[in-house]
Amino acid sequence: MNDSMSIPHLIMNASLVVQLVMLLLLAASIASWVVIFQRSFALRRARKAQKAFDERFWSGVDLNELYRDVPENYEAQGSEHVFRAGFREFNRLMPKTRSSEAVLDGVQRSQRVALSREEDSLNANLTLLATVASASPYIGLFGTVWGIMGSFQSLSMAQQATLSTVAPWIAEALVATAMGLFAAIPAVIFYNRLSSIASRLLGEYEDFAEEFHSILHRNLQGRGGNQAA
Amino acid sequence: MAKRNRRVGYGLPVVLAIAVHVVALLMTMLRLPDSEPTPSSSSVVQATLVSDVTATDQAQYAQEARARTAQRQAEEAAQAAAEQEAQEAARQAAEQQAQEEAQAEEAERQAAAAQAEAAAQRRQQAAEQAAAERAEAEKQQQAAEAKRQAEAKARAEAEKQRQAEEKAKAEAKAKAEAEKKRQAEEKAKAEAEAKAEAEKKRQAEEKAKAEAEKKRQAEEKAKADAKAKAEAEKKRQAEEKAKAEAKAKAEAEKKKAAEAAAKKAAAEALNNSIANEQERIANAQQAAQASNSFINLVKRAVEDRWHLPANVDSGLVAQVRVRLGPSGELLAASITRSSGNPSFDRSATQAVEAAAPFRELQQLDAGLQRRFRDFNLKFTPGDIQ
Repeated sequence: MNDSMSIPHLIMNASLVVQLVMLLLLAASIASWVVIFQRSFALRRARKAQKAFDERFWSGVDLNELYRDVPENYEAQGSEHVFRAGFREFNRLMPKTRSSEAVLDGVQRSQRVALSREEDSLNANLTLLATVASASPYIGLFGTVWGIMGSFQSLSMAQQATLSTVAPWIAEALVATAMGLFAAIPAVIFYNRLSSIASRLLGEYEDFAEEFHSILHRNLQGRGGNQAA
Repeated sequence: MAKRNRRVGYGLPVVLAIAVHVVALLMTMLRLPDSEPTPSSSSVVQATLVSDVTATDQAQYAQEARARTAQRQAEEAAQAAAEQEAQEAARQAAEQQAQEEAQAEEAERQAAAAQAEAAAQRRQQAAEQAAAERAEAEKQQQAAEAKRQAEAKARAEAEKQRQAEEKAKAEAKAKAEAEKKRQAEEKAKAEAEAKAEAEKKRQAEEKAKAEAEKKRQAEEKAKADAKAKAEAEKKRQAEEKAKAEAKAKAEAEKKKAAEAAAKKAAAEALNNSIANEQERIANAQQAAQASNSFINLVKRAVEDRWHLPANVDSGLVAQVRVRLGPSGELLAASITRSSGNPSFDRSATQAVEAAAPFRELQQLDAGLQRRFRDFNLKFTPGDIQ
């Protein structure tokens, strides 16, 4: 009884559909955990980079220097990416037009593009977590319902329906629901946590973009063409 | 997006995710055996059998047990004594036999072979009978009777043997007389013959001297015949002697065999007593198991029917003395130690009343039944909400 009710034994004895459901749920669970770990690492790294860049930007360094002082093949992230996109646009537009309005418009546009890219990368794969979180309980429930259906079908052929004849079937069917919840619960928790981190980071990027934009605007207003050459 | 993915690889996350699942699987496999013993303790109510005897009863039981062991020891001692005595009796009887046989052998040497054989057969039968009776006596294990029987038997045997001896002696005497008579007759015959020969001789001498030679020859012949006869007699006697000796030897061997059988019987009796002891121990173990199962049955039945009153303090303890009739019906259930909460006490006695009768009592041994017809049940509310 003990051996026949152990979870691996139940899984091995389940019907094919239930087994497929379980396999799907296992894959979903593994995928969600891969995403959870990958996103956690990526977001922690993004936060660190954001903090470092913030300190550097507000330490009073010259913006041109900051722009040029980059290693080879460097791919900026986060607010640095926003800054570089905006500053590049600003440098390109300055010689071409006198209108500060047009320059600021161009800078803003390029910053918006960079921001949307950053948002994309921050939220990458979080939709998978959301899908697993919402769908796997239903998938597990489907497996359970299917298993119980099968159990009742085979029960109709049995002479006596005691609890001990029904129990293994139902336990086996319920394993599917358990697996669905096992996949869904961490996915829900980490989806909320990771998406809140990502939105906070995105908010910081937007704040930075606004601040940078105001700096450029101040410079344009002050001298109408001051480029710290 | 691509840059970020390149920077934070998927290798480590995949390994970690699989590790998480393996750990979860292991936890489900490890937890199952742990969670299994819990159902037994999940019974809401715990009724524990404190002890099936009160203090005074315990003293009584202890005394009884002591008396029983003393009796058993006495029995064993008596048995051992009986065995020893029986062995001694056997030895004495054997010695007597040996002495008597030695005497008988002397008589036999004088007596005829046929009588000796008959006597030996009788003795042999007697010896066999004695051995059988001795074995029986040992098995009976009752010291006095066995002793008396053995002695009576030994005496009866001795008497029998004595009678046999006397008979043999009388017969031997008769035989000796008969032989003497026969010898006398032979002598008379020989004399008559000699006379006849002398007459013949005389007639022959009178008739002719030539016949003198014939006479001499006849005389020589007669002499030779007599010699041959004497030799034949001697031979016969020697043969008889040899036969008697062989008989004596055979008897001695039979005696030895009888003694060995007696010893064997004694050893078997000892083995039997050991086996009995082992059986008794096994019975005691069985009885203990049966009593355990009975206690559990009672406990379960009472637990099932115990309805705790509402808002009862979990620290309460009530002890109920349960007395059962011979067929397991409830004679009385009385509170021996009150919990201080009357409704709790009432619920405990009601539980016992509802669970009665305990028909399983009839399946127990008679001795156990007596023990379990009076026991105490301790009621403690378990982890009840």
